[in-house]
Amino acid sequence: MAVSPLVVENLSFRYRDRSATAIREISFEAHAGEILLIAGASGCGKTTLIRCINGLAPRSYKGEVGGQILLYGENPKDWKLSQISQKIGTVLQDPERQILGTKVVNEVAFGLENLNVAREEIIDRVDEALKFLKIFHLRERETFTLSGGEKQKVALAGVLAMRPSILLLDEPLASLDPASAQDALDTARLLADQGMTILMVEHRVEDVLRIQPNRVMFMSEGEIRYLGIPSGLSKVANYREIKLPASEIVERAKLDPPPAEIKILPGAAGRGSEKEALVRFEEVAFGYDAEVEVLHGINLEIKRGDVIAVLGPNGAGKTTFVKHAIGLLKPKAGRVLVNGHDTKQASVAQIASTLGYVFQSPSHMLFAPTVREELAFGPTNLKHSKEQIETEVKEALRIVNLSDKEQDPPLALSFGQQKRVSIAAILAMQSRILVMDEPTAGQDYQNYMNFMDSILQLPSFEAILFITHDVDLAVIYANRVLIVNDGRLIADGKPQDVLRDFDRLKANRLVPTSLLALNLDRLGATSRFMRAEALAHV
Amino acid sequence: MLVAWRYRNRKSLIQSFDPRAWLIFYACFLVSTLAFWDVRPLLFFFTLAMFVLFTSGVTWKEMRRAFLFIIGFVVFFAILTFLTGRGGSELYGQEHLIRQYKASFSILGWTPTLDVTVERAFYAVSQLVRVSSIAVMTILIPYSLNPSLYGVTFKGLGLPDKFAYAMDLTMRFIPTFARDFQLTMDAQRARGYEIEKLNGGIVEQVRKMAPIFVPVTIHAIISSEDIIDAMDLRAFGVGPRTWLEVLNRDLKDRVLIWFGVAILVGSLIAGFMGYGKFWVPEALLRLAGG
Repeated sequence: MAVSPLVVENLSFRYRDRSATAIREISFEAHAGEILLIAGASGCGKTTLIRCINGLAPRSYKGEVGGQILLYGENPKDWKLSQISQKIGTVLQDPERQILGTKVVNEVAFGLENLNVAREEIIDRVDEALKFLKIFHLRERETFTLSGGEKQKVALAGVLAMRPSILLLDEPLASLDPASAQDALDTARLLADQGMTILMVEHRVEDVLRIQPNRVMFMSEGEIRYLGIPSGLSKVANYREIKLPASEIVERAKLDPPPAEIKILPGAAGRGSEKEALVRFEEVAFGYDAEVEVLHGINLEIKRGDVIAVLGPNGAGKTTFVKHAIGLLKPKAGRVLVNGHDTKQASVAQIASTLGYVFQSPSHMLFAPTVREELAFGPTNLKHSKEQIETEVKEALRIVNLSDKEQDPPLALSFGQQKRVSIAAILAMQSRILVMDEPTAGQDYQNYMNFMDSILQLPSFEAILFITHDVDLAVIYANRVLIVNDGRLIADGKPQDVLRDFDRLKANRLVPTSLLALNLDRLGATSRFMRAEALAHV
Repeated sequence: MLVAWRYRNRKSLIQSFDPRAWLIFYACFLVSTLAFWDVRPLLFFFTLAMFVLFTSGVTWKEMRRAFLFIIGFVVFFAILTFLTGRGGSELYGQEHLIRQYKASFSILGWTPTLDVTVERAFYAVSQLVRVSSIAVMTILIPYSLNPSLYGVTFKGLGLPDKFAYAMDLTMRFIPTFARDFQLTMDAQRARGYEIEKLNGGIVEQVRKMAPIFVPVTIHAIISSEDIIDAMDLRAFGVGPRTWLEVLNRDLKDRVLIWFGVAILVGSLIAGFMGYGKFWVPEALLRLAGG
């Protein structure tokens, strides 16, 4: 009988600097040619499990290990990481954290160079990996100029070139546009069909179910709650905890009371005309270098009551576009007006009192010794009163579900919690317009749905704009959708008008979801897009 | 993620050399220039640096920021030394006054005075020429060395594999740090922070810079941990490694190395023989009445 590639027996792990155990009594076996999807909320122990399997824990992440792991029947406890890495390849959540090489060819060759493989063989294996992933044309490109999807594929090529038989993918879809995510999943299916064992940690369960993983593991509080065929998952997992296909949510939600109606931007009405533009882009063009223009003639008005979702592929210019709204970038041609004032004539700090901007990465802004002080920083700069700041901080913490972390150092929190602190830090500034760049990245489903619900019901905001790769976020929350591609505004309209054109979605690397399809099906009865739980009661 | 310097293939003189040869030449140039205070040999090095600059193919637009910063820095310190008379006095024992400017006021019995002497003026000129030569050659390095060859270049210069790769990462750390600094500045400005309006004493101002320095530092630490994990996961440092990139040294590289070594040896010998010390033209001394 063939030996299993991977056997995990009663595995437990506790990080050296923490009192609680991160994972407890984990046991399972993974087979050759299998895709095992590992799902669960943030902090459930998924990443720790991956670190134990690839050897980073306890070698780099020190701690106490219980139980054992067997790779092809052998216990790798005393192996060096280099030995393990020849059998197990790992692609980290963020390819930016994994890529080391200056050029694509150097990046893919890195592992083979370290194994002292002959130069000619390295070249052959690099080219083979690049061709397999259909990215041979990127061979000589500099890695930092690649789009998110391209970086993900290059990181994968670097691992595949080492020919591992087990592949660990830690949230591989987190930074990808829908079409790139689909490509990545198809590649995983192909590799599994060729005999590779794949363990994939992923929040976007619905997307992964499309490639028919053999089994699903659902983790909670460091333990396995479910391990079995995918169809059994919806019976054990709460549909509010992980993102299931819309039809399954509808079936389950029918048994529950209808969800409370979300009153979007309750403060927008009554503060002025809905026709008045809060932000106006007039023929805006921009380029980081004089020779290359990345935004071309953008015309747009953000009006009171708008909840705008900005969709588009990786590298389309979405972030460049919204950075103009707060004056971090000034147009090379045209102008941007915020509250009627040209951003060229105002400092970013002045605009910040009107327009709050949440950056993609929290690690570039967190600095204070406590979460409370971090949140008070913005309002203090804007000269809010002490009493006002106290209220703003408490309210912001409540919205992002971090009230119990008020005195904790923000830098000691998990990535997901840090992201929520960064959102709360802007919420506390009580700006009239909120702009968020991928607010849900790195968050689990339940958390981001909760804080999106809360943010949209805040009375202080008159308009909200968010960049996202999640089409469902646009379906559920937006009353206006923009598609940006190649620095141009491709579409601007109501979600039901913009998102019904599947050809246009495909051309802009967007993929229709089951929730979108269901909403379009029922549009005659609902006349607007709704979340799946609400559709269950229509 | 590490970003690289803005390197472009330009088919220039510098880029036609093997990077190892160029770095050896640069090191020779650096030490040789530092061996002199006499503006006459320094002008030779300055001319050499200008020749390299004008054949480098790097446009003014590309290096404008770096140059303006360095020129500002060099000119500021040259003027400061000139005004205070400090910094060069160990090179000359006697000063020849050209003109003296006295303030029309006194502070506690002390009248601010500026002595314009031949030595101070020529020291400022020598300092400008010396530092400018080194600055020009140094600024050109990131524009002329292919970032994908950093590691193999240092390996080729005799460093062990681990150190050579560490040098590769270090070279790329500087532009990466600059990018992270800018991102943090942007993020804090979006929270109403205005670095231009910091007030209070020096300690207070440093404390108020924490919103910039803490995230930049923490980010650098986290990134280096990520880099270590990424390297470990792909078997870095387990033994001798293969270098994919291959460097080829030919005749012109050998000529460049020998040229650099000849300059270095010549400079060192000249230094031992007492040549190349601070020098002022006789005519100027006579003009000053010396």
